[in-house]
Parts: sequence; C-alpha cells; structure tokens
Amino acid sequence: MADSGDRRRFIYNLHEQSKPVGAVRWLPSVSPFLRLAAMSVLSPPAIEIHSFSSQSPNPNPDLNLVSSYPLPSSATSLTSFKSHNYTLIAASTSTGSLHIFSVNPYDGKIESQIISISDKDSFHCGPIQSIDVETSSTGECATAGEDGRVNLVLIGEDKVENFRVCESDGLVAYSAVKWGSPVEFVTGGVGPGLQWWDKRRPGGPVAQFKGVWGRGTVTGMIHSIDIHPSRKHTCVVGGSSGAVYAWDLRWQQQAITLAGTGLEAKSQPFSESEVWEVKYDAFTPQVSSTKVLPVMMCSEDGFLAVLQQDERPVQLLEEPCAINSFDIDPQNPSDVIVALEWESVGILSRGREETEMA
Amino acid sequence: MPGIPSDSSSLIPFALEGSSQPPPVYPLQHGLRAPIHRIHISWSRGNLLNVTCLRPPPDQQEEMAREDDGIGGKAIEVLLGGAILEGNIGEHKRRRIAYESVKSYAFLHDKKISLAKMETGDNLSAPALTYWWQYTLEYSKSIRDILGNARLHRPLIEDPKNFLKPEEVEQPIGTKAAWELMEIFYVDMQLLSWLPERLVDWLEGYDSLLSKTETVHSKLAILQRKVTSMRVVEDEPGYWNGLAAALAVGWLDVVAKLLRLHGSYDPDQFDKRETENGLVEAVVLLVSEMPRMRPNLPNGKLGLCYQTKHDYIKGLEKWRVKVSGLESSPFWVHCNHRPTRDGLINLLHILLGDAKHIADATSHWLELFISHLLYIRPLTNGLEGMGNLAEKCMNLKPSANNGLTSLLAGILSENPEIVLADCLKAFGPWIVAHAVDLLTANSEYTDGLLNEERYQLGGASIGELYMLVYAQALASHPLTWQVAPAYLSTCLNQGRGLLEILLLRQPVQNYRVVLKTLEICHLYELGNISTHIMKMAGMYQWKHGHKGLGIYWFQQSRDKTRLSQIAHKLFDNIGKSLSDDSFKQWEGLMELLGSDVGIAGGLEFLHKYREFKRSLQQIVNGGTVEAAKKSTELLVQLMRNPSTPQRFWLPLLLDSVKLLEWRSGPLLGVSETNLLLGKLQELSMAKLRPDFHGGELKPNALGDVRLALAKNLGRAILEES
Repeated sequence: MADSGDRRRFIYNLHEQSKPVGAVRWLPSVSPFLRLAAMSVLSPPAIEIHSFSSQSPNPNPDLNLVSSYPLPSSATSLTSFKSHNYTLIAASTSTGSLHIFSVNPYDGKIESQIISISDKDSFHCGPIQSIDVETSSTGECATAGEDGRVNLVLIGEDKVENFRVCESDGLVAYSAVKWGSPVEFVTGGVGPGLQWWDKRRPGGPVAQFKGVWGRGTVTGMIHSIDIHPSRKHTCVVGGSSGAVYAWDLRWQQQAITLAGTGLEAKSQPFSESEVWEVKYDAFTPQVSSTKVLPVMMCSEDGFLAVLQQDERPVQLLEEPCAINSFDIDPQNPSDVIVALEWESVGILSRGREETEMA
Repeated sequence: MPGIPSDSSSLIPFALEGSSQPPPVYPLQHGLRAPIHRIHISWSRGNLLNVTCLRPPPDQQEEMAREDDGIGGKAIEVLLGGAILEGNIGEHKRRRIAYESVKSYAFLHDKKISLAKMETGDNLSAPALTYWWQYTLEYSKSIRDILGNARLHRPLIEDPKNFLKPEEVEQPIGTKAAWELMEIFYVDMQLLSWLPERLVDWLEGYDSLLSKTETVHSKLAILQRKVTSMRVVEDEPGYWNGLAAALAVGWLDVVAKLLRLHGSYDPDQFDKRETENGLVEAVVLLVSEMPRMRPNLPNGKLGLCYQTKHDYIKGLEKWRVKVSGLESSPFWVHCNHRPTRDGLINLLHILLGDAKHIADATSHWLELFISHLLYIRPLTNGLEGMGNLAEKCMNLKPSANNGLTSLLAGILSENPEIVLADCLKAFGPWIVAHAVDLLTANSEYTDGLLNEERYQLGGASIGELYMLVYAQALASHPLTWQVAPAYLSTCLNQGRGLLEILLLRQPVQNYRVVLKTLEICHLYELGNISTHIMKMAGMYQWKHGHKGLGIYWFQQSRDKTRLSQIAHKLFDNIGKSLSDDSFKQWEGLMELLGSDVGIAGGLEFLHKYREFKRSLQQIVNGGTVEAAKKSTELLVQLMRNPSTPQRFWLPLLLDSVKLLEWRSGPLLGVSETNLLLGKLQELSMAKLRPDFHGGELKPNALGDVRLALAKNLGRAILEES
C-alpha cells in the first residue's frame, strides 16, 4: 500500500480539453510568468502548444491554445528540447514519420519545420513507438519502432541524415529508447528485455538484460526508460504489471525492483497495471547516495507516484481514469503536468504556497 | 445480411404494425453512384451499425470499370432517434458528463452492495432504506453538479434596468431541468412539504426551456431589450404585461425591480405624482412581504418564510387582508395615470388569486399550474391533487408539450414507466440509466416494478434494460467505451455477455489499446476473454510481419497450437534454404520461441540442428579433424534423438555426405553408419506413403547418400578390424 501524499501542500488543477490527449511535455520557458506546454492530441492529430500564466492571481489559470502543428497520423511519442537557443519539439507518429519543428520560446508560436521524414524503406514502416534526442553534443535523434528498426537521425546544418542501427525484421518490437551518453543509448521492447547500444561498436547491442518477466504469467512490455545524466550506467524502466525497476550496467544480471510484481514476487505490488511513463524526480530529496534516485511513475489505473528504493511509494494523484503521460518541468521540478485518459490535462504544483493552502 | 436493396438508398427502421406514426426515414448520403449491387449490414461496437454499399464488380459491367469516378464512397454518420431537446449540448460536453457521472454512479452502487452485505438478505431492509434516500440525494446532487453549475458572474455595479438574470452565463440544459424535477419528486423527502415552492424555484430556472416563444421568460426577455430605450415605461402595455407575468409565476424580485423603474420614482417631475408613487411603493411592499411556505429563501429573493402550515395560514390571512385593503383603498381615485392604476390593480388581483387574471398573465399551462399553486391552492400536497390541477391547467391553456412538460405530467400521473420512457425519448439514454436510482429511492413499489426480472426481456428488469441501452451508447464511441463496463457490470442478467462482446470487438492493431482492454478484462476477472484478445492480437501482428509481438502474444495466451504451427513453419523454412539471412532469421525466431520445448514441439532439436549446421559450416570452410569429429557427434546425436522430425532425416543425411567423404579416414564407426543406414531405409519406405514430405531434393539424392554410406561402412569395417 502506498502513503498518500500530503495533499495540502499541492495545488492541482484540471483542464478539460474536449479531445483526447496523448503525451504532454513542458517547454523550456523564457519568462517566469508565461509557461508553455506541448501536448499531442487526436481528432485531428496534431501537436498543440498551450500557454498559461503561472503568476496570475487567478488560482486556476486557464490553458490557452497558442498554436498547433498538424500531423499525418496520431502521435506516438513527443519530446521537447533546447538547441542553440531554439526550442524544438520532436514527435513521431503511428505511420512511421518523424517531425521536428521549432517554437518561439516567448509566445509559443510555431516558427519553422526542421524535419519531416517518412519513408517506409529507409526509415520506419509502422508506428515509431519512441524517440529521444541527444541534446548534450550531437543532437542526434534515436527512433525505435514496432517494426523492429532503430534509426538515428542526425540533424545537420543544411541536411538531414538518417542511418539504421538495427533491423530485426519484426523479430523485436521496440517500444522505448533513451540516450545514456552522446554515443550510447538503451532500447526496450517486447521479447528480449533491454538492449544497451554503443555507436562505436556497431553490429549489435553491447549488453542485454533478459529479465524473465513474472515467469510468463503476466504481460511484460517495456513502456518507458529514463537515464539520469549523473548516473549514466543506470536506467530505470517502467512496464507491464506495475513493474518499475532499475538496471545497472555494472551488475547486469540482477535488476533492482522499485515497484510491481514483475521481477520479484516478494515486493508488495503498488499498482498492477501498465506503467506508461517513468522519469527521475529531481524534486524529491534523495535518501541515500548508494540507492536508486527517486523515480516518478504514472499508470493505467490512475496513479501518479514517486518511488524510492526500499521505501514506501508516495502517491501524488489517484485519478479515476488512466494517466497516459506526465512530465516534470526540468527548470521547475516541483511542477508536473499529466495527461489523463478522459480528455483532460492536469497541472500539479508541489510544495509551493504552503501557508496559503494550510 | 446481404440483399438486393430498393432503389432509394435509405435506412428505414422496422416499425411494429399498428403504430400510429409512420417510421422515420434516414437517407444515407453514401456518395456512390447507382446501381448498388449489394448492401452489407453488420453491428459494430455498441449500437453502431456498419452499412457497406458495394457496387457491381467490374467484370460484370465492363464499361463501368473504365470510369474511375464511380470508385469510392465515404464514411457517414447517421444518428437514429437521439435526444430531441439536447441538441445544444456538444459532443464533448456529453462525453464529459459520461466521464464524470460514472464516479458518482459507481460510488452509489458500491454503497448499495456494502449495505446489502451488512443486511443479511439480498434486499435492503427497512432501516437501511431510511438512510438510503440520503445516499441517493448525495448522488443526485453530485450528478446535478456535473450537469453544470450556474456560475453567476454578478456585475459589480448593478444596472437598475437589468432585471433579468444574465442569460448568457449558461444556457440551462434540459437534462439538468429534468434531473432536478425528478429529484424534487422522488428523492428529497425533507422538502416534500414545500413541494409547490420547490416547483416555483424550478420554473424560475428552466422557464425558458418550456417553449421558445410563449413563456413568461420570453416575454420578459423582450421587455428587457426594450426597456433601455423606453422613456416612459408606465405608458407601455408591455411593461404591465411583463409585470403581471412575472408576478403570476412568483418572480417577486423581478417584479420589485420592474416596479421601481416606474416613472413616479423620477425625482424631477412636473406633475404631482406622490399618490401614484405611494401606490406603486405599497404594491412593492406587499409583494415583498408575500408569505411563503418554505424554510428559507436564497439571497435576493423576496417574501416572508413560514416553516409550519399553521403559521403560514395565519400569515397568509393577515397579508390578504392588507392586499384587499389596498385594493379597495380610496387613493386610487387620486391616481391620474390610468395604465398605472389598471396595471397595479391587476397585480393585486393576481396576488389575491383571481383565476381569470392569473390565466391572462401566464402563457404556458405549466406556468398557469405554478401560479395556481402559488396563489390559489398553496397547500396542495400529494401527487393526485397536483395531477388534477395540472390536467385542469392543460385544458385551460392547451400548449405544445415538450420533453419537460410530458415528464412532469408523467410524474404526476404516478407512472414510473412512462417517466422513464419520456425521458429516454427527450433526453437520451444517459439520464434514464442514472435516474432509475432516483425513482426507486423511496418507493418499494417502484423498486419492485423497475427491478423485477421479466421473462419477456430475457430475464432482465426494466432498470437493467435502460442500463444496457446506455452502455451500448457509450460503447459506440471509441473514447467512451471504457466507461461502459462500469454499467454493464451492474447488469446481472445480460451485462456480462455484452461486456464480453464489447471487449472482444476492441481493435487489436495498437498494442497499447490491447493492454488497456486487457486491464479491463483483469478488473472484471474475464480471463478467457483476455486470452481470446491476446490470440487475436497475436494473429494480427504475426500476419503483419511483427513476428516478435505475435509470438509474444501467443506465449501470453498460452496458445500451444499456434506456437507449434509457427515452429513447424520454421522447420519448413529451415529445410528449404540456409542462406545467412534466413539463418539469422530463424535464429532470432528460435530465441523468441524460447526454451519452452514442451510448448513449441521439437525446439530442442532446433537448437542442436543449429549447432550442427554451424560446425558443419566451419568444416566446409576448412576445419580440423577435431571439429569434424565434433560435428559427427552432433549428427549422431540428432539422428538418435526421437524428437528429430522425420522431414529432417534426408537433409541431415545429405549433410552427412560431407562428413562421410572426409579425406583423412572415416569419421563414423560401424554402429553409427548402421544407424544412418537404418534411417535411410526407413525413409525409403516412408517415401511410398502419400503423406511423405520430401521437399525439392534431387531425384538421385537417396542413391548418393546410400553410396556414401556404403563406402564409409566399408572403410569403417576395415578401420575397426
């Protein structure tokens, strides 16, 4: 069982959207008064940029639609990043295309399209389930698809190059990808667990983790991977059956279970449904330097919670419907944006205005 | 059912014979050019009907094939029936209501189950029932909140000329009006004694929904628009009409505001109008002191509240004496302004309950009904009395009925079945599904009527039937179908079956959607359904070349048949070619199939075969004697193993030729060679059988192998001796 978080210190606002919302991401904000967020929506498929004023006297600031970037099909993955003072948004779709465009950081207006790739032969054929952009040096975008391909897209000054890292002919369906360093990344998918790739050693993954998930009694897919920039050898993984675990490259045989019954039966399950997204939570203080850093997760049964190794989970939200995606603001880690199944977006501010709320 | 359609391409619902109304016709704008060859109709998710129109195949009418313009068609949506009144609610608002209300509904039903568990019997007993209406009231209030809270933005400075509520804030929705009406009559037991006053309040909120043109509200709305441009309001007949109308339905605050617009209040006047002004103010005073049989009044509303009947009657008598005193006062003679005099006296007549004046002031029968309750029969209680009164009013003022008025008539006639049927017709399935609990909250009779299992309905009760109708409506939409199981699970007779069908009809293309569906299966403990869904997902992925995902789903669903089929297919492919690419491919497949030898048939063999093939390849590329010996060992192991499929004997024997022809002496001993010869013999026999699977081998392949074996046997005998 989970501790329910001290709700008095939270401010939580729900914003109805009147259309289904897939993924949500904060955008780097320039002004402290105007916050920007990107969300992928359906009917019609698009990426929408919304703004809201974080300092307004209104305790329930409305999300205002600023601009919208149409997509050929529903978005499967969404990420935002900063590169050379540009705010960029990358999105992949269920028909195998990748789109990157820039957004004005002051007002959220879409400035220009940078990339739009869609090629069944040389790129992806079928849904791209996950993308991640390496932001510290190369600016390469890794894409992992259900078709069993992993591609790297290099966004150059004047041209776009993409090359295939892996073609499994459908033997593996990749569902998650995350950069660990400028040359290494991790993929996860259906079938053989996690793969660690190194660009300097092409030909195949350099390390693999084949966790036998729940001994075949429960579905086991990986939905999300996160790697902390200060601990590049460890990745946290969220997947089926409420499983959240950490895999350390230095101890490859054994993963550390943070939640779920997936890997070890001894731990008490917190949520038994799909964990759609995991992210390191910089806001929650770390207990011990030898342990896995605090991780936030969201699940199909409507939980948003912070997990720590050997600690009870701290539950932040318990919604009546699935939480499909969330994002922690990198500039302001107390703020979390969540996308709910029932056509709404929630914004959770932790720890602020304690006196006012009490 | 496929069939030959009629000329007009439209959908005509089946109507029972003897039905008075002609069946409605819904034309289908399908965009196909005539003639249409076939029509295929099938049920899709929920209550969606898939209608596929097919044109004749091109080979039948060749000249049509040349024209490209006829190809195509489009997906269209035809709404059958549906709610009449609720056209103003958007689709997303409807979905929002569905999402929000499921929480309240589930909460109430959990409560019901836990209460039933506390009581020993299945049905709620009397003490539980006494609390039950309070739970239902909570439920009703939460649903009412979902339907929309009137968020009144009160302007900081009130314009005295604005006497109507700012309408644009939120247009009242009919569903909410109907819900409140049912709450008033069926749930709230505390307020039953001031039922007439509650109806007055209700009408104030929803008068505009009764009719577009003929209501007090519409009269006042016109007046409100005009009043700003009027210079002398008291000269306008519309002003006095509006006043009388507002008073008749008891909107006392509006009356007071309007009267204060009277010209006699104007400070700069030439005439002497003090008396006139005094009279107006006297009426205002009487209006604001009107006795009302209710516990309290909301802010800004006028009247004096009386809690008990006794006090109320005393107060009413006193007040009536005052009103009639004013009516017969001598001051009227001094009032020179004739419209003012007539208008005010008309108002006093209404206050005194003059039936003729009241009838003149109101427009709709429901308004007339309300004003009768206010001024003539304020102590009416009980549905029968109200029903009679309503009938009288309907006769006096025949006006077009709509959903709300027929709902009220249904309630007053004390027939819950009619109430629900009217609701369904006017407001759609949502309200009916949720209102069953309101109707049964306080009445064991209704509870019995609506929850009794009926043979004609396939064992379902009327309540369950409405629940199923709503669940079907939810299931038809890809965004709301996940809400439907919560309702289906409360339907004991047919809910389970429909839930299973609903889950099985979900798309399996996207694995995330499949996982969401499986989650619901898990929640309602539908293990066999989730197995089915996983098999379907597996088939889909396998067919589309996503072998990994396909095998994953088959393994999850423990589909041994398909997994062994895959393994057999794999064997076939391995037997055919051994290029590097395919080697990698079946290696990967083998990995996916895993070590579950029991499940996948001869996978143990496959692993050994791979090993053998690898070592053989090394030898072909130039290997040592040790390597050759090792691969010979592997070959013998394979041949000895009973799990090696027969179809691999020949390829293995052919491979063995390379080993048999090893230059530096025989690798196989006598007994091993005999083993291979035995297999060869068996194979030659099997070749005669019709089910033999020989593959595409050279005709003299067997002969080659036999020769090589014989040579080897000779060498081996020499060696060993």
